[in-house]
Amino acid sequence: MAGIIANLMSGLAPTLATAHGAAGHAVTNGAHEAAAAHAATPFEFITPDAGPGFALLILALPLLASVLCGVYAALGIKGKFPAWSTVVLLAGSFVATLMAAGTVFQSNAPLIVHGFDWISLKWGNVPGQSLTANFSLFLDQLTVLWMLFVTGLATLIALYASEYMAGDRGYARFFGFFALFVFMMSCLVMGDSLVLLYLGWEGVGLCSYLLIGFLYKKPSAVAAAKKAFIVNRIGDLGLALGLMLAFTQFGSLEYKEIFRQVAELQAGVAHGHEVPWSIRAIPLLLMVGAFGKSAQLPLYVWLPDAMEGPTPVSALIHAATMVTAGVYLIARFLPVFELNPAALNTVAWIGCLTAFFAATIGMATYDIKRVMAYSTVSQLGYMFLGLGVLSSAGAGNHVVTHAFFKATLFLACGAVMHGFAGQLDLRRLSGLWHMKGWKIVSASMLVGCLCLAGFPLSAGFFSKDMIIAESFVTEGFGGSLLGLLALLTAGLTAYYTFRVFFRVFVGPVEYHAGDEHHGDDAHDDGHGFHPHAPGWAINTVLVTLSAFALAASIPYLIMWFGASHDGWITGLVSHSTAKASNITVGVDHTATFLGANPHFIMYFVSGGIGIVGILVAWLLHFRGRTEAATSPGAEEAARAVGPILTWATNKWYVDEFYDFLLRKPLWFLAHVFYFIDALLVDGIVNLFGWMPRAIGGSLRPSQNGFLQSYAVGMTGGLALLLVIVWIVG
Amino acid sequence: MLTALILIPLFGALLVALAPVRFARLLSTVVTLAALVVSVVAAFRFNWSYPGSVSFQQSYTLVEQLGVRLSVGADSVSLLLILLTALLGPLCVVGSYTAITTRVRNYYAWLLVLQAAVTGVFAAQDLMLFYVFFEFTLIPLYVLISLYGSTNRRRAATKFFLYTFTGSVIALAGLVYVAYVGYERNLGWSWSIAELQSAAASMTRREQAWVMLAMLAGFAVKVPLFPVHTWLPLAHTEAPTAGSVVLAGVLLKLGTYAFYKFVLPFTPLAVMQYAPAIAVLAIIGIIYTGLICWAQNDVKKLVAYSSVSHLGFCVLGLFAVNMVGISGSILYMLNHGLSTGALFFCIGMLYERYHTRSMDEMGGLSTKMPVFAFFLVFFTMASVGLPGLNGFVSEFMCLLGAFQSGADGPGGVAFGSLGPWFAAVAATGMIVAAMYLLYMVGRVLFGPLREPAGHHEHEKLPTDLSWREIGVLTPIAVLCLVLGLYPKPVLQSLEEPVAMVIDEIRTVNQRAITEAEQAMLADPTQPQTPVVLATETTP
Repeated sequence: MAGIIANLMSGLAPTLATAHGAAGHAVTNGAHEAAAAHAATPFEFITPDAGPGFALLILALPLLASVLCGVYAALGIKGKFPAWSTVVLLAGSFVATLMAAGTVFQSNAPLIVHGFDWISLKWGNVPGQSLTANFSLFLDQLTVLWMLFVTGLATLIALYASEYMAGDRGYARFFGFFALFVFMMSCLVMGDSLVLLYLGWEGVGLCSYLLIGFLYKKPSAVAAAKKAFIVNRIGDLGLALGLMLAFTQFGSLEYKEIFRQVAELQAGVAHGHEVPWSIRAIPLLLMVGAFGKSAQLPLYVWLPDAMEGPTPVSALIHAATMVTAGVYLIARFLPVFELNPAALNTVAWIGCLTAFFAATIGMATYDIKRVMAYSTVSQLGYMFLGLGVLSSAGAGNHVVTHAFFKATLFLACGAVMHGFAGQLDLRRLSGLWHMKGWKIVSASMLVGCLCLAGFPLSAGFFSKDMIIAESFVTEGFGGSLLGLLALLTAGLTAYYTFRVFFRVFVGPVEYHAGDEHHGDDAHDDGHGFHPHAPGWAINTVLVTLSAFALAASIPYLIMWFGASHDGWITGLVSHSTAKASNITVGVDHTATFLGANPHFIMYFVSGGIGIVGILVAWLLHFRGRTEAATSPGAEEAARAVGPILTWATNKWYVDEFYDFLLRKPLWFLAHVFYFIDALLVDGIVNLFGWMPRAIGGSLRPSQNGFLQSYAVGMTGGLALLLVIVWIVG
Repeated sequence: MLTALILIPLFGALLVALAPVRFARLLSTVVTLAALVVSVVAAFRFNWSYPGSVSFQQSYTLVEQLGVRLSVGADSVSLLLILLTALLGPLCVVGSYTAITTRVRNYYAWLLVLQAAVTGVFAAQDLMLFYVFFEFTLIPLYVLISLYGSTNRRRAATKFFLYTFTGSVIALAGLVYVAYVGYERNLGWSWSIAELQSAAASMTRREQAWVMLAMLAGFAVKVPLFPVHTWLPLAHTEAPTAGSVVLAGVLLKLGTYAFYKFVLPFTPLAVMQYAPAIAVLAIIGIIYTGLICWAQNDVKKLVAYSSVSHLGFCVLGLFAVNMVGISGSILYMLNHGLSTGALFFCIGMLYERYHTRSMDEMGGLSTKMPVFAFFLVFFTMASVGLPGLNGFVSEFMCLLGAFQSGADGPGGVAFGSLGPWFAAVAATGMIVAAMYLLYMVGRVLFGPLREPAGHHEHEKLPTDLSWREIGVLTPIAVLCLVLGLYPKPVLQSLEEPVAMVIDEIRTVNQRAITEAEQAMLADPTQPQTPVVLATETTP
């Protein structure tokens, strides 16, 4: 391997030294021309054409699947009907996406497919008093990119779930929610207005709520579901306000109108015009929504808890698709974000810090599914960093590669959990590689881990490097601090990923069963627990996904040899509104890292750091697993890092912080308000109510209070009337 | 047509009261269904091309000297609310089959009277007639609560009656003053709402402020707006299920409807000037009562308080005084009637089985009652404002209207006088709503099964919902979905009437500004008094 790298280095170095092909920037000039390269072209928006009607099938088929599952549930149909109809219909949706992709690739302009009128309010030509939000689709290459992996992964994971969820009482319910999720996600990605995006946004939140709380008898699952929904709502508030501000500023919520005006604004910026603060505030609000949905600081707390849901859900919703909605939102509105460099800066820093913090927690977590959850948060952080440094292409690349390898990882974890009755503690599982029937799981785990760790020449390696390198060349973001932190995080990532692998999959065979049993676990009688290896559906899906995760690096390799760092998804991203125009944020093409072009050197630096991380994991968790625990040095080391470890194990006490700062005070306030309401607000009224009764009672003690107060009320009212007439008249 | 809609339930009530007990349920079902059919026919015959003009007009002079006429008619706003009333009628009747076992005739008769009265309020085109019906709604509901409610029913009923009655008497004062102004202008008494409008708008700013204050006193109690909301949780908690449904579904809308019908067009200057103050009350209501919901253990009280919180959005939208806000607010009236009405039905069904409303005593019911769980989650989501269901469209529009309010309009008069901050603060109510409603759903439906001690199965009701109960909830669920996905016809029908109201408000404000400017120009010696212009808000 080293020889190959050396060869590549010597062969490609001269070409690469001048090829600064930063993602999405049509800039390939050398260092001397860097200043001239600042003449960035403003964002241009081509008026959309009408698109093909069949694209509506992409949404309609999952919805149909969901309704069918509802019918199965209502009729009490047993068996695997729900799974099969869902898999088939989702596959149909995937095929429709492929066909739509064909049409989109041939079209120069984005396509709009009109479904039906949804919210429509018109008042002649009075400006700002009409509101239109149709149920229509907006198809460009960004949409297609997202929909391809959403529907593709959904189909595969549904197939996986057909086996995984077998024997569950809520089999039909599960697939109903699952398909509904795909529908909502399609609305989010394909909607042609912010309102339809918001529908999908809240809709996926609902499905996430329903699916996390799928095992509704478990209090922890119910609590996690509630937490996810509420934390997401906090983010949604930002999105909703951003949407309203966009409406007041642009007079419309439809993309075609917003982007038309944004293009004008960017052209204005190119001529030195100021952008009003009211428009610059829009991205600041939108990004709050993105932070909530994509589990970024400080709103990431719901995602680790969301692992209470069944594993296919974690794989699809909480790793591959829904959590990338925030990335989609910012990518889609990148031209708006570019109007406010401060917003981009915030996105970059939040992303980078999230990546780092989540990685530290991932290092100290024992539950392998939660390790994966934190790694998801961390990887999403990378994507946000990419967006923040205007490498939307890097973010796009990473979204896709991450979707595949993270789904693989989760499904492999799920297979373990399924086979070992819910056991997920990496201290209680070991040597799965050597067990019969677990080869495929272990191998796909390895593939996933390699990609996640950014092992050289894996897909994750390429996509992550695009982002890290770009953070070194983009101007105005705290120098190279962002990039260095991202590099450090890459090392941590490699460590915690392989910590799981070395602990669970290699080493001596040893396991303890968990305490969750499926309905069909007839072989479990409490004593002789036998893990049951996954069946064909799970294995097929694992093989397919890891093949995809591996194959994803092939285009990178090909391009790599062609001396391009653009990545194969870049073309898709830059043919959409996500194309960065660099109108407000410059790119310093003279920037170097370790004396070389960052895009070139990064492959070696981050690859090297990744390998170091893996080696450390190997040392600590494979080679020295037994010695490490007993040797005196280890104890000292443990004492030295003790406090940090405690903090990291306790997730930096963020949950406690929120509980103390928000939930408890609000809960207290709620009770205080209730008390005030009963005592004071109502008390004053009761006092007024009591007065006429008392007066009336003193006048006519023999009659009941009710009629008197009636009379007094009437007289009082008339008196008041006269008083008012007298005063105002 | 509309007269028939009032008379059918009224005579039906008489019939039910006189007929043998065993026919009471059947008769009242038939009567309410007949009313529903008539209202649907009315909807088909309504002139949808001109939804702002009053259709089905009928007029009959009652008191010649005072100009009081029995005049009914409906524009699209009235008609939509009448349809909602007619729809909830049969559902309430059918929903009460097993809940009411004593004094059955009396119960259904008063329920029908209540429906007639509410329909009358929405159909009235005469101020006096409106007020008579408005007050008349109190009596049947008072009877329903005080006779068929739970433990604290007497106190709740009395409080409800006195509270709302006192309020409306003050409102009457305001309305009479408007009629008096009309009398002076037109040299004759007239109570016609349409005729009074122009007269009312010619009042001075000071007069308008007083009249608005008087009207607010009555109508805000009805809505209810913070801080005059305390009668509602009590009344709701103690009322029988159908009473709660009608109360939440349509009676509270009398307040917001009156805001729309009288406060906005009668006092345009005051509205523009004091809208921010009213909006602040609405926003306090949204958050304050939302948090109170969270502190509840009584599930019915929780939903009752949530009504206060939700109607805050409705009021906020109305006082945004722009197309999006007011249309959204009217749509909110319908949607809230459906989703909260349905939630009260759900809780009633639970109460019939467990005889408790305490969430401490029951929980994890989705294992035992999956169908019920489906409906409760569905209506909760409609109530939370989940897009795709009805609540979202209207809540979103109310907030959007408030956000956009204050934006410049043609002629130098702004559309409304609120602004982004109002919407931003109110929107936190969306989070609070998610908090307390999911808290409720989580406790009632999920987790391990808990049932009250000594609970045994109801002898007449199945463990899960019966077909009758499903039949009550399904039409509402379908409507929630339809209004959530295709609100376009409703919204279109609102365009014209809302545009008329806004035009009226803006014209009067414009005139006031022009007059003030002219007065200043004509008399330069006079020290310049600051004229409060509606445009003086931050964009």
